[in-house]
Amino acid sequence: MTWWCSARGLPWDGTWQAYPGVWLFAILVGALCWLVRPRGADAPPPWWKRAALPAGVVLLWITLDWPVGPVGAGYLVSVHSAQFLMLAMVVPPLVLLGLDRSAVDAALQRRQGLYRVVSALTRPLFAIVAFAVTMVLTHLPVVVDSLMASQLGAFALDVAWLASGLLFWWPVIVRVPARAHFPPLMQMLYLFFGTQPHLYIAMWLLSADFPAYATYELAPRIIALSAITDQQIAGALMLGFGATYVLGAITVLFFRWTSSQRDDSAALHDA
Amino acid sequence: MNRRLGFLIALAALAACQRQPEPAVYSGMMLTPPRGKPDFTFTSTTGAPYQFRKETDGRVTLLFFGYTYCPDVCPMHMANISAVLKKLDYADRQRVRVVFVTTDPDRDTPQRLRSWLDQIDTSIVGVAGPMEQINALQQSLGLGPAKPEAAPAGSPPGAYGVAHAAVVLAFTPDDSLRVVYPFGVRQQDWAKDIPVLLRVKARG
Repeated sequence: MTWWCSARGLPWDGTWQAYPGVWLFAILVGALCWLVRPRGADAPPPWWKRAALPAGVVLLWITLDWPVGPVGAGYLVSVHSAQFLMLAMVVPPLVLLGLDRSAVDAALQRRQGLYRVVSALTRPLFAIVAFAVTMVLTHLPVVVDSLMASQLGAFALDVAWLASGLLFWWPVIVRVPARAHFPPLMQMLYLFFGTQPHLYIAMWLLSADFPAYATYELAPRIIALSAITDQQIAGALMLGFGATYVLGAITVLFFRWTSSQRDDSAALHDA
Repeated sequence: MNRRLGFLIALAALAACQRQPEPAVYSGMMLTPPRGKPDFTFTSTTGAPYQFRKETDGRVTLLFFGYTYCPDVCPMHMANISAVLKKLDYADRQRVRVVFVTTDPDRDTPQRLRSWLDQIDTSIVGVAGPMEQINALQQSLGLGPAKPEAAPAGSPPGAYGVAHAAVVLAFTPDDSLRVVYPFGVRQQDWAKDIPVLLRVKARG
């Protein structure tokens, strides 16, 4: 039974295929986040906060389901890298932006054991190391070629990207528990250094003499694109989109920080 | 004096050991003993007779049996070999021939075969012949005969596939069939092996 997208080694025939595991997974993620969605007891939450969670879940589904899922799993490494960017860099911040901090805090406070686990896992040092290690491990040719050959392996890879992405973005977006020693300036440095490994991976893909992954090198071609060009597109995507995206996130943090500094100065001046 | 002589002898012995050629290790299956190069004549895509043995004499020759409608193995093998050939220096590149024998001569017209090969590499030689002779040649090389099979799902009506050997046969400059490369050989394997195949001395 086919439940998750994996590399099958068969010629691409463009026939739609159901991946019920992907549907269940997207529904599960959506349902979990729905429990702690922003409710706005006093004022309704802004539109972007209400839109972030559905957008994240829909993007998660599109990234994993047909046709993106099977093409990325077994045919084009450029699509595989686009999936990585979505699952590790775009979906997690969207989903986390859609959470209500106070609801998350209240939910965790009710379960002290869970609170301790979340607190430990989202400690910035742990999260940045977990993210970096996951990035490096899940791009090693031996790991990719082994995992992508089976549905369970491909599922593990996708979940590893999403989970490490959630851990990585949590301390910057959700900030529960609040950490006094992790001010905005540290958050900017955290984002910068945390995303360095994947930029190096991108440069390695761009500059390699030969295709790195047997899965994609030996896959039946679905478009007139050589394996090495496909790999270079993957590297360029990771480098171009990844770097721009992270710099964008750092810029947002910077302006939010300077704006709050101005507000604090104004309040002090008024006082 | 004797000590110095002993040292020189030891040094010479060490140098002699180092000069011995390293045993060749290939990514494909090595044939021991190597087999001879077959002598066959088919028709090239220009319409001229192609005498395989004469045309490829003294060169590393990669021989492959496939067809242009192949959805997977044929384009992959050809593209991977071509990608590596383009990275060789000019002199080495001139000492390698890639010959593609169609196993589907009914559909692979000379024009179609040339056009398909040109999309991959203009230097690949495409040849065709009567199916019985192609199959006899394959069998003489230890390969199973090619035969029509059902087309993959989603193919247009009337389409068919051709079951064929998915291996590349590598002949060295001494006109010996030394290595058989199965499906799964990668560009990095070709990049390592082609220079080793080129080092085999041609027959004087």
